[in-house]
Amino acid sequence: MAGPRRFFDPVNAGVWRQRPSVVDCGVKLLRHLLWAAVAIGAGLCLAVIAIHRGERINSVWLALAAVCSYAVAYRFYGKFLAARVLVLNDQRATPAERLRNGHDFEPTNKWILFGHHFAAIAGPGPLVGPVLAAQFGYLPGTLWIIAGAALGGSVQDFIILFSSMRRDGKSLGQMAREEIGKTGGMAALFTVLLIMIVMLAVMALVVVNALKGSPWGTFTIAATMPIAVFMGLYLRYWRHGKVLECSGLGFGLVVAAILCGRWVAQSPELAPVFTLSAIALAAAIIVYGFLASALPVWLLLAPRDYLSTFVKLGVMMMLGVGILFVRPELQLPAFTRFVDGSGPIFAGKIFPFCFITIACGAVSGFHSLIASGTTPKMIAKESHAYPVGYGAMLLEGFVAIMAMIAACVLQPGVYFAVNAPAGVVGASPAAAVSTISSWGFPVSVTDMSSLAADVGEKSLFARTGGAPSLALGMAHIFARSGGGRAMIGFWYHFAIMFEALFILTIIDAGTRVGRFMLQDLLGHAWKPAGRTSWMPGVVASSAAIVAAWGCFLIQGVRDPLGGINSLWPLFGIANQLLAAIALCVATTILLKMHRLKYLWITCLPLAWLVAVTFTAAWQKIFSPVPAIGFLAQAARLEAALRAGTAADAATARTLIFNARLDAAVCGLLLALVAAILIDSVRVWAGILRGVREAQVHEAPFVASQLRAEEL
Amino acid sequence: MNRLRRLAALAAAVLRELADESAYQRHLRQCGAPDSAEEWRRFWEQRLSARFTRPKCC
Repeated sequence: MAGPRRFFDPVNAGVWRQRPSVVDCGVKLLRHLLWAAVAIGAGLCLAVIAIHRGERINSVWLALAAVCSYAVAYRFYGKFLAARVLVLNDQRATPAERLRNGHDFEPTNKWILFGHHFAAIAGPGPLVGPVLAAQFGYLPGTLWIIAGAALGGSVQDFIILFSSMRRDGKSLGQMAREEIGKTGGMAALFTVLLIMIVMLAVMALVVVNALKGSPWGTFTIAATMPIAVFMGLYLRYWRHGKVLECSGLGFGLVVAAILCGRWVAQSPELAPVFTLSAIALAAAIIVYGFLASALPVWLLLAPRDYLSTFVKLGVMMMLGVGILFVRPELQLPAFTRFVDGSGPIFAGKIFPFCFITIACGAVSGFHSLIASGTTPKMIAKESHAYPVGYGAMLLEGFVAIMAMIAACVLQPGVYFAVNAPAGVVGASPAAAVSTISSWGFPVSVTDMSSLAADVGEKSLFARTGGAPSLALGMAHIFARSGGGRAMIGFWYHFAIMFEALFILTIIDAGTRVGRFMLQDLLGHAWKPAGRTSWMPGVVASSAAIVAAWGCFLIQGVRDPLGGINSLWPLFGIANQLLAAIALCVATTILLKMHRLKYLWITCLPLAWLVAVTFTAAWQKIFSPVPAIGFLAQAARLEAALRAGTAADAATARTLIFNARLDAAVCGLLLALVAAILIDSVRVWAGILRGVREAQVHEAPFVASQLRAEEL
Repeated sequence: MNRLRRLAALAAAVLRELADESAYQRHLRQCGAPDSAEEWRRFWEQRLSARFTRPKCC
């Protein structure tokens, strides 16, 4: 017989505890050993990808480094945040339980909510950003995605989700107003509107660059519009509530459209109709954005939203399985020569530009809007905020790693031929391959022509924006998993359809949201303008939002450097500045909860983001290098105009205006965030000096009655 | 086998949640209304008007 199983706990005097059995001790030891092995695995994989030079490295090393690092971060850092810092308490009723109404507030199973939250935060950012940042080589971006997601992005998402959950699901703006002050709240609102305009423009530019001169791609995406309208009618009038059935039908039709696209591209009558220039595509997207913003949501937006969500999740899963199955070797080196700042895709050194190019996937300010939106109203138990808030961001980090792998499996010459703008490498194929080969990345016109023929395109030169090269990488992986070279054209257009479909969903929904925000702001000045059902107000505000992002889009399309060089950094800066605002709110809340004890948790990522974004913004405005600095670019064009050496005076004048406008927007964003930062520091100093109330504005404690079987 | 079945059930539940089908069932329970085309339209319009006033993530 074993001895007594109970012992007296000397720490908690008077408490008798169950003595752990030998089996329990063994399991505990095994668990410790397992986690030690995972931690050693993470260190080993990171060391391999960091030190390995010369020969090509297998993509599995990157995937394993990310999986092991994220597992360790989730198990130890995430758990520490949940238990010690935020002190999640399952005895406390969440807003989903207290305010349950069957609509917004509804306690939801944690894994269902995890899927819901992940689907909401995973946009095109974690796919496109790493593809663009691969111009530095695979290493800088990979390390930033791993470290940024574990120590910055997940921390921001988790703390904002927790804070919103403790405040009845309040938004980031409301929390900023309550915890920091009115200035912070108003600045946050303006910043979000400005960021949305820049984001919509840059996302539209990615689609334009993916579809220009591509009848196959344009036909497929054009076909998704009537398919979405059909789905809307199907759901409203014929099969009410059957969203999954309808989405399955819609997906079948989209695949049929991709298959028909090849035939359209080969048809002498139809191909010219769907072969559109960049400016024509931009105009089409602007008109689409306006219509989608003003039309009833059930007709176009909602069906597209369902379809794009399912396609997005399915394709991400397929990419993960494909990488595991094919285990491709990375063709790009760990570092390229462009770490010196002379990159053809975007100019600027690793610090700060790698860290703003990859925003979503590492740290994304936009996540704070989702974490303080629907998700906190659906959390059943406080402990669920840990997997949903911290875990979902880690999964998004892994999606970014997969995008990095997809970009790096391309031959470097092909990668640069696709992503480098004609203004940098030369307009003709011969000039482009000569420039790219001179950088040490050999590529020939024949290679590029053969690749374009394989994927059913006329040319793949200067297809900037990241989407075409990501589609090429994905097609390469999918074709090796099944179908071979004969299917590469289908997979390329499948990937293009997937990217364009959910980018357009962001554009149409974003335009509508922007319209509401603008109407909200205008409503303070003139009441009728704020009414969302007043038609003249709806049309005018939709037109204003579309004109705002359309102006940046046209600017990007006309930019001889491809537009991505100026707009993507602007978007990255804006997104990271929003993350800085979220971390200011999180820091204020932690300070009120624990004073200085745990301040480093949010202060370190905040300090990093402030350093990165302020440096990047400063360089984008004032750098004397015209490829980097907006003002230097304007000055160079002005000098050319004065000297009479500008090729086209009208275009030069437009470009000068655009460069100055970009500088002004960048400066405005900086000023707004600086205002919030100064306001926050003032509040923190007041709390620490004891002259300011350090009370958190949480909803009062109510004991939870929710039982596990109810979920 | 049981675990696989549970995983499949969870995946189906996630899809139903993303498709608003679970939310519709909750709405019917909450209102005590029977499933009908009219009720679905009422629910859907309410749901969509709330969803499309929030920004989507990049």
